[in-house]
Amino acid sequence: MADDKKNSPADFSELVTQWERNFNEFSNQIMGTPEFAKSMNQFQNMQMEYQKSFSDAMAQQLSSLNMPSRDDVVSMSEQLTQIDLRLSRIEKALDKSNADSAKPAAKRKAPARTRKPAPKDKAKGA
Amino acid sequence: MSEQNQLASQMRELVDKTLQRGAKGIDYIQAGSAPVGLTPKETIYDRGTLQLYHYLPVSDEVYRIPLIIVMATTNKGFLFDIMPGQSMVEYLLGLGFDVYMIDWDPPVMRERGLGLADYTQDFLPTCIEKVQEDSGVEDVNIMGYCQGGVLSLIYAATHPEGPLKNLVCLTTPVDSHKMGLFRLWANEEFMDLDNMVETLGIIPAEFITNSFEMLRPAQKVAGQLRVWDQLWNDDFVKSYRAFQRWGDETLPLPGEYHRDCTKELMWDNKLFKGELLQNGKVADLKNIKIPLMAVMAEHDHIAPYESTKPLLGLIGSKDKNELVLKGGHVSLIAGPNAMKRMWPRVSDWLEERSV
Repeated sequence: MADDKKNSPADFSELVTQWERNFNEFSNQIMGTPEFAKSMNQFQNMQMEYQKSFSDAMAQQLSSLNMPSRDDVVSMSEQLTQIDLRLSRIEKALDKSNADSAKPAAKRKAPARTRKPAPKDKAKGA
Repeated sequence: MSEQNQLASQMRELVDKTLQRGAKGIDYIQAGSAPVGLTPKETIYDRGTLQLYHYLPVSDEVYRIPLIIVMATTNKGFLFDIMPGQSMVEYLLGLGFDVYMIDWDPPVMRERGLGLADYTQDFLPTCIEKVQEDSGVEDVNIMGYCQGGVLSLIYAATHPEGPLKNLVCLTTPVDSHKMGLFRLWANEEFMDLDNMVETLGIIPAEFITNSFEMLRPAQKVAGQLRVWDQLWNDDFVKSYRAFQRWGDETLPLPGEYHRDCTKELMWDNKLFKGELLQNGKVADLKNIKIPLMAVMAEHDHIAPYESTKPLLGLIGSKDKNELVLKGGHVSLIAGPNAMKRMWPRVSDWLEERSV
């Protein structure tokens, strides 16, 4: 019965940890070479070139059709978000000011800034 | 207990956990985002990507000097407030600290031009002014995490006249040439950084997440296997979901900021060499004379120990402490080990310097 505990959950967790460690080490060895870094960056650059030329071409097409491009829509959406945030801030400020004027006594009292550290237990610190 | 009874008991446990896995698995799949960052707070300042929170004090008497946590620009600050009972913010409030946090929202396209100097010479000083106004106290203490620590160091080096009184740097890389795979992947020979910044404007969150995940490619799958194994364990699942949400909410970065960090810090290692210029000021770490505590994790795969280690040798402070703990980049900050290992040591150090 020496191997009874082999099927316990702790063993599964250890197994996963071991696999994770080995896999990470193996992958890091492969990814830790200049060749990998070069290929990764080449792939990334290619992707970006493609994205750039595609979005330029698309923007041209949309412009000729007198339609907004993605950048125009993003910019408009950002402006709307800003307006929304400003409104929300104004709303919050109004709510706070209304609450403060309705119940001045309930306003949060600032804590005193006089706290000192508790004396340390010498035995514990030793 | 006889061998037969022992076997029967193990079988019962196995069947019970399998049934619970089935039932709770459905809950797990259906559950929405994990609730995080629940400690009550007020946003006292927000400007686009920048958010400044004030956590509501829980005691009538607090330490004189407020503490500002500066979060890394790639992730949300709720790592420090992951869930009740496992929240460093809650812990610090309970000890009587007055806690503020500089946190980040995803930057929008019109913020693509924000550079490193905007963070260190505008965002940080402005937030400090807001904290001074809000608290009525001139002095402040800062605790910066990862890149938040780098921003704090640059701020401190370019503002040696104050009002910063004490600085805690958590897993803060200062020697970028020791950043292992990150440094290799960002090799200037292969990386077309300018093209990336010009094309994308905002560096997508997926780019950041992929870089982190590539450092530990098996971590995600292993995490899912562990959560399947532990589905019967509510506490484990709750904690896993909260950390998973934190990982999933990695933030995009303004292109210009990414360019500055990669060129000035990663490629030229200017912070380490004392050559970083920010709005005409040299961010020489020797200018830092205030008490500083550097906390590092032995098994940090994002800010490797070798990249964080040189900090104390570079600053001009006499009162400086180094704390090297077991753990990784995230487990140093949150989770059961952080609660036992890091929180009490940092709060002890800060307590006597916050009066």
